[in-house]
Amino acid sequence: MNNTVTLAHGAGGKQTSELIDRVFKAHFDNPYLTADDAAVLDAPKGKIAMTTDGFIVSPAFFPGGNIGKLSICGTVNDLACMGAQPLYLSCAFVIEEGFPMDKLEEIAAAMAKTAAEAGVRIVSGDTKVAGKGQVDGVFITTTGVGQILDGVQTSGADARPGDAIIVTGDVGRHGCTILLARDEFGIEADVTSDCAPLWGTVNAVLNTTKQVHVIRDATRGGVGTVLYEIAGQSNVGVKLDSAAIPVAPEVKGVCGMLGLEPLYLACEGRLVIVAPREEAEKIVKTLRQCPYSGNAAIIGEITDEQPGRVVMTTEIGAQTLLPQPGGELLPRIC
Amino acid sequence: MATKRTAKEILTAYNGPKLRIMEVCGTHTHEIFRQGVRKLLPENIELISGPGCPVCVTPVGFIDEAIYLALEKNVTVCTFGDLVRVPGTQSSLAGARAQGAKVQVVYSPLDAVTYAKEHPEQQVVFLSVGFETTTPASCLAVEQAKEQGLENFSLLTANKTMPSAYHALKDSVDVYLYPGHVNAITGTALVESLVEEGISGVVTGFTAKELMTALAVAVVKAQEGKPFFVNCYPRVVTHEGSPEAQKLVTRFMEPCDTEWRGLGVIPQSGMRLREEFSAFDARKKFDIPPITGRANPACRCGEVLQGKCKSTDCPLFGTVCTPLHPVGACMVSNEGACSAYYQYGM
Repeated sequence: MNNTVTLAHGAGGKQTSELIDRVFKAHFDNPYLTADDAAVLDAPKGKIAMTTDGFIVSPAFFPGGNIGKLSICGTVNDLACMGAQPLYLSCAFVIEEGFPMDKLEEIAAAMAKTAAEAGVRIVSGDTKVAGKGQVDGVFITTTGVGQILDGVQTSGADARPGDAIIVTGDVGRHGCTILLARDEFGIEADVTSDCAPLWGTVNAVLNTTKQVHVIRDATRGGVGTVLYEIAGQSNVGVKLDSAAIPVAPEVKGVCGMLGLEPLYLACEGRLVIVAPREEAEKIVKTLRQCPYSGNAAIIGEITDEQPGRVVMTTEIGAQTLLPQPGGELLPRIC
Repeated sequence: MATKRTAKEILTAYNGPKLRIMEVCGTHTHEIFRQGVRKLLPENIELISGPGCPVCVTPVGFIDEAIYLALEKNVTVCTFGDLVRVPGTQSSLAGARAQGAKVQVVYSPLDAVTYAKEHPEQQVVFLSVGFETTTPASCLAVEQAKEQGLENFSLLTANKTMPSAYHALKDSVDVYLYPGHVNAITGTALVESLVEEGISGVVTGFTAKELMTALAVAVVKAQEGKPFFVNCYPRVVTHEGSPEAQKLVTRFMEPCDTEWRGLGVIPQSGMRLREEFSAFDARKKFDIPPITGRANPACRCGEVLQGKCKSTDCPLFGTVCTPLHPVGACMVSNEGACSAYYQYGM
């Protein structure tokens, strides 16, 4: 087999089968993944959640992950935020002619490993090859279906005054990692992406209490954007304590140099959880025992003052508005 | 015995005559808004956002010159990102780009040299704006281009030096918060000597604590009733500054008269390339005709920069002029006073 992906690999003939067998089937193997036109699945009981996401991150390989891992985490985490246990995923690849085969294998292996960790099966897929320069490397779209746990209802519109706001870890890692991986700034710092599948984390929280009003994963736009969305959807105010927001020193350093706000840098393994104050300590205790949320923290509260706005108590004790991000955030981060 | 008080206590307790403190540096402006410093100050301490944001003081005519180069001379313009959206008389560089101009965003003048080297078929001009902190990097770029024998790289200069602005604005200000980064390069000898002319100031760092400390020192010293100078950023700023950077700039550049947006032409407040480096001076190389820019007459950026009005007094603020659709330069840069007012909802 060739060392790179060619247009023939996407033509539907013998080479396509070879590619699928050697790379995708070898890694994704499970009883539902067959050579038929569609996967035949067992229908879960109760309500299901379904979501889809496209991934075009540049560079495709970065400290802490690659586009394959990211493509599983993104969809698994979207399902998890609805209180849904991820069951099945489909994935569609658009690969640039000339893409190295070993890199594609690496991506598939990362997808298989991450899917296994999240307990989700890749049941269906598609492979297209585009001419040189028509895509950049590889683009992946994943679609996922999950089963919503009994008695769980979360929505961005459900935050209530008095609720506590929790983040599950330090913010801004993924965005900062991608920024540095592009090598445009001549800054070197030891930052790795927080990219992680979070169903286990959400499940642990929901086993602790079902009293959770909002769960959101802070991806593009970061925690700041998620908080503005919650403030708008629930028509409440958000009050943050800047000193309580976990930020890794190296992320803080990079942000200081480039004039960026860590709250607006993307995360790929962080949740914002809004829950009644009396449940918050319990949730944080649970989170701190989970693998990806060791430094979870309560960072603020929902109020009935200034609905739609996010206000921050700064380190000198003044209150300022968290500025809303302008048009040009970093492109192609996920 | 005097009791110890925190900077915050000193500032909130101030009840003397009105004190006008100008933070000269755009980074200070941004941090002051971000930390909510103004909200802790009593009414009789007024903070004025001064002309230390390089984008904000870049005159309309400079943008027009850059657009002329890009559209009429088919030059590739390399620039810091903020300048792309600053309105010129007719259009911005972003507008010119939509008309086919080649505009390349870079993070350092040295990136522009690299770009020129990689694109020998293009003429590359770097928009050299900024104060004492960024001018050495522009000089370094010329040095590199000369060493590498690049004939397709030049600078369009609008570099400025701070001290002349201190003189120009002294009647609007009681105490300056001097920009720590600038003083790290220039040293403090010059601003120390301003005390003899009755100009007071405090060299200030950039963290919340450093800003609060400098403000408290300014308030305490101002109450003593005589001009003063204090270096509140000694971990970075020395009396001598950086002789290497100073030497580099002196080798390549010389003072000239230059226009500041809102302040007009201030004699000897600019820096241009010396005659012997004319080959790297885009104005000479491309024979740019004299261009007089015209700002939107309703825009009050000029008065904002002098502390004569607040951003919110401008009729365009927040309606016609927003960070996404800026009319004046102070709304473009993150360090601009109008942008800070808008974003932090003051």
